[in-house]
Amino acid sequence: MSYIVRLDVFEGPFDLLVYLIEHARMSVYDIRISEITAQYLEYVSDMKNARFELAQEFMVLAAELIDIKSRMLIPSETIDPETGEPEDPRKALVQRILEYKRFKEAASMLQEREELMQHVRFKPQEDLSAWTGEEDELLKSSTEQFVAAFEAFLLRRRRLDEMRRTYERARRDRQSIEERSVQIRTMLRGRKSMMFSEMIESDPSVYGRVITFMSLLELLSEGRIDAEQRERYSDIRVIPKNIPAEDEI
Amino acid sequence: MTDQKIKSALESLLFVWGEPLEAKAAAELFDITPAEMLRIMRELKAEYDERGGGIRIAEADKAFRLCTDPENDDYITRFVTPVREKRLSQAALEVLAVIAYKQPVTKSEIDQIRGIRSDRVLEGLMRRGLVEERGRSAAIGRPILYGTTRQFLELFGFESLDGLPEIEDAEILAGDGQLTMPAGAEQLELGSGTEV
Repeated sequence: MSYIVRLDVFEGPFDLLVYLIEHARMSVYDIRISEITAQYLEYVSDMKNARFELAQEFMVLAAELIDIKSRMLIPSETIDPETGEPEDPRKALVQRILEYKRFKEAASMLQEREELMQHVRFKPQEDLSAWTGEEDELLKSSTEQFVAAFEAFLLRRRRLDEMRRTYERARRDRQSIEERSVQIRTMLRGRKSMMFSEMIESDPSVYGRVITFMSLLELLSEGRIDAEQRERYSDIRVIPKNIPAEDEI
Repeated sequence: MTDQKIKSALESLLFVWGEPLEAKAAAELFDITPAEMLRIMRELKAEYDERGGGIRIAEADKAFRLCTDPENDDYITRFVTPVREKRLSQAALEVLAVIAYKQPVTKSEIDQIRGIRSDRVLEGLMRRGLVEERGRSAAIGRPILYGTTRQFLELFGFESLDGLPEIEDAEILAGDGQLTMPAGAEQLELGSGTEV
């Protein structure tokens, strides 16, 4: 009798043995040892001929089977304490087969469960680093994440550069104290005095008022003007001082 | 704080956290006992099941997380193609079965049941986080004991080890000479208490 079965599909000697017993439609409790041993040895030698590297455990069970087979031929001397009859040489083997089968069934139960669970989806935890604030976040990143982070950095740089250019332009558009001072001096030229309120008429914005006032302070400290104020919060009168001609550009 | 309020907060927590939320950790947030929290979490889970919606709560080892209803998986896989996790080999399932039912168990006990060495398989299972060391046995040589992890429960959809179906009696039924297929097939159908 020959079967086309490959040894490598068996997970071990018991797997093979259980297959053979089931295939021969034998009861585990009444194994025809001689028949099974012959089949088992046939497989093992087939596999050896096919140059399969055979786990030594297959040989161990082969030896056990032969041992049981030989003991079946002679009457047993030991008495089974449970039955009071001569002990069946197959008893220990049957116990092991039964135990193995239990776990094999458990394994196939697990396999079914695994298959079922494939259809239950879980959401992986999202990136909570913004909340946990881990500093070494980048070190734990994959290359892809690192590239993404670097690109984000470049983008931020570009935006910053853009912002800076805009910002600089805005500053250029605005008057400096120096520019305003020159304007004030021009306004004062040929006049005895001028009121602060008059000076800011052209640009009454906060920036205009502040830059005008700052320029006045600057001119005061340079000694180019005098200023007087009758009372707190009242208008300021600005009086030009006589300035040497070469200073006028 | 009323149960209703806690349940509401729990839902939000589960949504944000994603990973299994332990009843113990959640209990601290609300300043109630872990047992109380476990009861509330299970109530919330039951409410989800009762509503029969597409989002459910999965329990594994007293930790909870949101999951989809497997009934809807057809539509999910039609819409996106989730990455299929590598399935466990037959050998891995056997070793796992032995550990699951006999834990804590030593390697030589596993080898003896299977009739073949399980070193490599065991290593693989440890790497996948399905099996972990559980100290050492008092036997000669003080061999390492192994047990299953929460991830094991999650992977197979068990709420606890108590949820493992009985495998004890399957063979006795098969002892009458009809030994074609393991008789466990029907008997091993998922227990009534599990949702998946």
